[in-house]
Amino acid sequence: MKQVLQFDQLSCRLKVEGLPDVSVGQSGQNLGIITGWSLAWAGRPELEGRKEHLLALMQVVLPYARYLISGVPRRFGAEPEPVEIGPGPEGGHGLLLRSSQPDTLPLQLNLDDAELADLVRVLDQLRLDSRLQLPLELPEPMPLKGRELLERRPLAQRLAAPLAGLLAVAVASGLGLLIPEPKPGLEPTQPPAAAQAK
Amino acid sequence: MPLHSIAPESTARLPRRGLERLDLLLLSAEALDLNGGEAMVWMSEQMGFTTLFPNRVELWKRRCTNPLRRTTRREGLEPAETDALIRILCALADRLYPLLRGLLSSAEPPEVLSERWNLFRSRLADLVRQRMNLRRGGVQLLLDPESGARESRLLIQALALGSGVGGFERLRASLLDAQP
Repeated sequence: MKQVLQFDQLSCRLKVEGLPDVSVGQSGQNLGIITGWSLAWAGRPELEGRKEHLLALMQVVLPYARYLISGVPRRFGAEPEPVEIGPGPEGGHGLLLRSSQPDTLPLQLNLDDAELADLVRVLDQLRLDSRLQLPLELPEPMPLKGRELLERRPLAQRLAAPLAGLLAVAVASGLGLLIPEPKPGLEPTQPPAAAQAK
Repeated sequence: MPLHSIAPESTARLPRRGLERLDLLLLSAEALDLNGGEAMVWMSEQMGFTTLFPNRVELWKRRCTNPLRRTTRREGLEPAETDALIRILCALADRLYPLLRGLLSSAEPPEVLSERWNLFRSRLADLVRQRMNLRRGGVQLLLDPESGARESRLLIQALALGSGVGGFERLRASLLDAQP
């Protein structure tokens, strides 16, 4: 009765093991209960875990890919979430896996763009596989708001225009203060033609 | 699993930026594949979009709604038409995935990688010069050596993440992004 779903890409292989949930009438081909999973990487340690860990992986990697496709690299899965992903300091994408076992250091993997695309493809294949008869609580890809898109421009670039405006106002005010005020006691001189008419 | 049987149809119209980006992504697919134009027509027929795009001229006319085009058409696209174009793009990206992966992988030797990027960027620049209005800022950004390299990488990355069974929903959502 044990079922194994396997999805392969060039750099990774995802295997999900489980059983059909016969209590809701699932047949032998389906998988309604996940008993374990493993993600094998070429040249990297294999990841294993329970259903919760797989869901946590999907809940951060797929939204990260959604933001990345719009050119906004944003961090997902802050502590105490078991999985975290964000842009790497030297390019690439840092995937951090926190173990639920005490005294076990988190595992840090740095993925390049191709490895991330492979990971996204295997996770997509799994979530859209008709044999997986399990509700996955994953957010639908939604359009980003204007404010979220601003993040793809560096802060210095975003602040340049308002700062230049403020500077221009300050310079204009300073120059205005340098113009001498007219003295209050002096009357304006009359033109000679007007004086003759008198 | 066929690519066009997963996500529901959209009712939202693509904004101006979305139309620009969709056409640039299709142009990138053409730059990767010398027969990309023909492949698009073939894909359209295979995926059952002949009612929307009965021939290559109609397909071409829809792509000309990109405001960056040299000869642009002012009418907008219906959501069904943009969805069909996105599905064709996703299918092309899926077919070209080994090439996209080859461009994005850091495991390749740097000389090979540099050669591949130069080839892709020169083909894309040729297509952009042929079809786009060179006075537009967005087009000049693509042809600029520095910003063009960054834009090209974003296009390839978007194609790679838009390929595969879940790519359509992700790509469509990104094309519907608000104007920054």
